[in-house]
Amino acid sequence: MQTPLTIPVPVLRLPRGPDGWSRGFAPDGRRAPLKPEVPGIPESPGVPESQESQEQRARAALRERYLRSLLAMVGRQVSFTLHEGVHVTAHFGATDLDVANFYVSQLQTPIGVQAEALLRCSDIIAYTFKP
Amino acid sequence: MAMRQTPLTCSGHTRPVVDLAFSGITPYGYFLISACKDGKPMLRQGDTGDWIGTFLGHKGAVWGATLNKDATKAATAAADFTAKVWDAVSGDELITLAHKHIVKTVDFTQDSNYLLTGGQDKLLRIYDLNKPEAEPKEISGHTSGIKKALWCSEDKQILSADDKTVRLWDHATMTEVKSLNFNMSVSSMEYIPEGEILVITYGRSIAFHSAVSLDPIKSFEAPATINSASLHPEKEFLVAGGEDFKLYKYDYNSGEELESYKGHFGPIHCVRFSPDGELYASGSEDGTLRLWQTVVGKTYGLWKCVLPEEDSGELAKPKITFPETAEEELEEIASENSDSIYSSTPEVKA
Repeated sequence: MQTPLTIPVPVLRLPRGPDGWSRGFAPDGRRAPLKPEVPGIPESPGVPESQESQEQRARAALRERYLRSLLAMVGRQVSFTLHEGVHVTAHFGATDLDVANFYVSQLQTPIGVQAEALLRCSDIIAYTFKP
Repeated sequence: MAMRQTPLTCSGHTRPVVDLAFSGITPYGYFLISACKDGKPMLRQGDTGDWIGTFLGHKGAVWGATLNKDATKAATAAADFTAKVWDAVSGDELITLAHKHIVKTVDFTQDSNYLLTGGQDKLLRIYDLNKPEAEPKEISGHTSGIKKALWCSEDKQILSADDKTVRLWDHATMTEVKSLNFNMSVSSMEYIPEGEILVITYGRSIAFHSAVSLDPIKSFEAPATINSASLHPEKEFLVAGGEDFKLYKYDYNSGEELESYKGHFGPIHCVRFSPDGELYASGSEDGTLRLWQTVVGKTYGLWKCVLPEEDSGELAKPKITFPETAEEELEEIASENSDSIYSSTPEVKA
C-alpha cells in the first residue's frame, strides 16, 4: 500500500484542545474573530483595568503555591481519599502537565500493594501529607 | 524521500461529530465550526484546528452548524427543537428560534440577514434575523424529514434534501422549481457557488449536478457507503468519507482514486474542504475532527515540511523505524514524531 521509506509529514505541534474550565472565546492569546472596533483603541485607565490585573496576579500566586506544594510532595507518603470512602496511601512520584494523573509508587490498596501506579486526579477527592 | 499524510486530530467532543462547516476567508483567517451529539458545538481556527470556544446553550444533540461568511455569527440546529444564532466572537447566544420538531440544518444568506432552517417537521423556514420575533416564512412540500437546506444562486433559490429527494425552490415565490428522486437515502449535499455545482451523496455514489437545473454532470462510485463528500474550490479534487472509516480523494476530472487514508476509528459523517483548498476536515462517529493536507508535505498551518538539509541542530534523525507501523497508530506516530523533533508534549484533553 505504501513504499517502505515514507516519513510522516512533521508537525509543529498538535491542535490545541479545549482548556477544560471555560467556554473559551478569549479576546487575548488566540486570534479572535473580527473585532468590531479598531484594535488600537487604548483601554480606559482606572479601576476596571487594575482589578483584572490584581485578579491575574492572585491567580498566578495561587498557582505557584500549588505547584510548589506538588514539588514538596515528591518522595513523601501521601494519603488519598478516593470515591466510595476508599482511602489509600502511596509515595508520590510526579504529576503530568495538566495535573490529570499522579504517578505514585508503593500504593497501599485494600487488595494489596501496587509497586507503581497511576492515580487519575478525577478519582481523587482529597489528599494530605506531612512535609 | 516520499512524505506520508499526518492528519491533525482535534479532540474535545465527547460524542459523534455529525456536521462541520468552514467560514469564508476573513482578515483573521478562516474558521471551522463542528456540530456534535454532545450538544456543545465548537469553534476552531480553520488552518490549525486550535479550539477557540464552545457554544453553550443547547439541551440536545446538535445536528447542524454553520458560520456566516465573515465568521461573526454562527447558527446551530439541534434535537432540542431549536435553532440558535450565536455571536461567533464572544460565544454569546443571540437568538433562539423555536421549532416543532428536531432541527437538522441551518444556513445563512450571504448578507447574514436571513437564516434558513429545516428539520423533522418537514418544513423549510426562513427567518429574518433583524426581526427574530416575527413569524418565519414557511415552505412545505417535503414528505420526509429535511436533512439539509442551502441557499443557492445568490440566495435567490433554495436547495433542500430529504430522505429520497432533492428539491429546488424559488425564494421569491416560495414554490418548487424542480426535484430529483433517488431510490437510496441521500446522505449529504454541498453547494459550490462558483460554477453552480451541487454535490450529492447517496449509497456509494458521489454525484455532481447543476445547482441551477439539477441536471446531472457526472458521478463516481466509492468502495463503501459514503456519508459526505466535498469538492475542492479549484475543482481539481474531491474528498469523500463514509462507513468504512476511510477518506478517499479523487481526481474530479478523471474520477481516478488518488489516495485513501485510514485514521478515524468510526464512520465519517462529514467532510469539507477549507475555503482556500489547502486542507480538508473530517468529522467522525469517533468524536474527533481530523485535518488533512490537500498537498501532502507542504508547509501550511501546523504542518512543517523539513528537508534533511535544513538541520537546525535541534532535529533528531527522523525516526523511520516505528514500533507500530499500522495506519491506525498514525496518531501516535505523529505525536512521537513531533516529540523527537520539537520536544513538545502533546496536550491530552479529556
